[in-house]
Amino acid sequence: MDMQSEKQPILKVAHVKKSFGRNQVLKDISFDLNAGEVLSIIGPSGSGKSTLLRCITQLETLDSGFVSVNGKDMILAGQTKNGMAKYAQASVLREIRLSTGLVFQNFNLFPHLTVLQNITIAPIRVLGMDRPAARNLGLELLSQMGLENKARAYPCELSGGQQQRVSIARALALQPKVLFFDEPTSALDPELTGEILKVIKSLAEKKMTMVIVTHEMAFARDVADKVLFMDQGVVVEQGTPEFVFGQSENERLQTFLARFSG
Amino acid sequence: MSDLASLVPILLGGFKTTLAIFGLTLLFSIPLGLLVAVLKMSRFRIVRYPVSFYISVMRGTPLLLQIVAIYFGSYYLGEYSGLDISFDRFPAVIAAFSVNYAAYFAEIFRGGIQSISKGQYEAAYMLGLTKPQTFFRIILPQVVKRVLPASANEVITLVKDTSLAQVIAVTELFALAKKQQAAYASIYPLFVAGVFYYVANLLLSLLFAYAERKLNYYK
Repeated sequence: MDMQSEKQPILKVAHVKKSFGRNQVLKDISFDLNAGEVLSIIGPSGSGKSTLLRCITQLETLDSGFVSVNGKDMILAGQTKNGMAKYAQASVLREIRLSTGLVFQNFNLFPHLTVLQNITIAPIRVLGMDRPAARNLGLELLSQMGLENKARAYPCELSGGQQQRVSIARALALQPKVLFFDEPTSALDPELTGEILKVIKSLAEKKMTMVIVTHEMAFARDVADKVLFMDQGVVVEQGTPEFVFGQSENERLQTFLARFSG
Repeated sequence: MSDLASLVPILLGGFKTTLAIFGLTLLFSIPLGLLVAVLKMSRFRIVRYPVSFYISVMRGTPLLLQIVAIYFGSYYLGEYSGLDISFDRFPAVIAAFSVNYAAYFAEIFRGGIQSISKGQYEAAYMLGLTKPQTFFRIILPQVVKRVLPASANEVITLVKDTSLAQVIAVTELFALAKKQQAAYASIYPLFVAGVFYYVANLLLSLLFAYAERKLNYYK
């Protein structure tokens, strides 16, 4: 059998568990994502969506399970240390981190740096890119975001929607293989969510691999190739948007969706 | 009024010592304070506890006593041990002021560092910045802005505290003014010294106000 020719998912998550004290927030989560696909994760507050994202992006350590990104294993399969999953060595973890980008709910832009500096700091300091090249990259990303005239502004001078677009550009500057969004529109006024969703949609058209935790159901259905519905730390249902939003007869999913269609 | 013409040059001599104590104390206590602040936030109790003890002693006893303790303490310790560890008067003052002010600065800096949101660290981490890069390029610049008003308070207090150096006979501005008071049989020299302190602090206040305005370009 030729395993090499088989298409490998770019993101593999298997049997991930995570507890905070005695509260188990992730109970055996598994999914795969192929390159160029978009996954929407939906579910009620406290279902573990954000924690899952934070575990995959290494902001939290998971207790057990397996994660690999772009063919690199974050967790050493089958090995444990005091009953907990054993992580790969630091250099591998860093490589994985650089191949993943995260867009936060509340942007987390660096307030003392200009918009352009926010975007170029990582290419310059982490990738060792020279300043003119980083500047060009930054300006190009800004024009993609429709913010070419804001390069010299400070984050506090921008609207929430503009700040979130800058933070997307900042994440893209490292040319990540997978881009994660943690409720990217939840901190925005309703009239500003549209501009962010438009940007994400345009990234999807460019075949950017993305995982999006969101409460925007219409958007989740629209943009995603796959939808994952989580509740109380488990994946209750997953599949195509047509299946999850149309055909599935899962009761918990129905109850959840009913609250959004009102 | 002809007194003033002869008094000012004499007091200026003492003011130089005052400025030296002021400048050297800031030079040593600010970096030391930053280090102490970082140590106080250590994950390790064995680091945190001694640092907390140091801060509580520095803030809980008079600076006057600390100056005396360092000057005479080091002298007697040197006598007993036979080691050459005693301080001269001026270095003893600088040492006492530096460790004392470092404790106050440390608490101000710690408050500033801890007020920076976790999200800033997380964003830097996701971008692959190293821990030193995160601290010096992301956190510290924001801390500077936040600790400026509280630091200004300390710096202004330091100008006045320099007068404590006279306890081990370092002739700074106030000690000299007191000598002149005896010579003139008048409190007039003390008032002139007061004007020196006031003008110095007025300039510092303006400087800090300017710095705060300068850092107002972001929120």
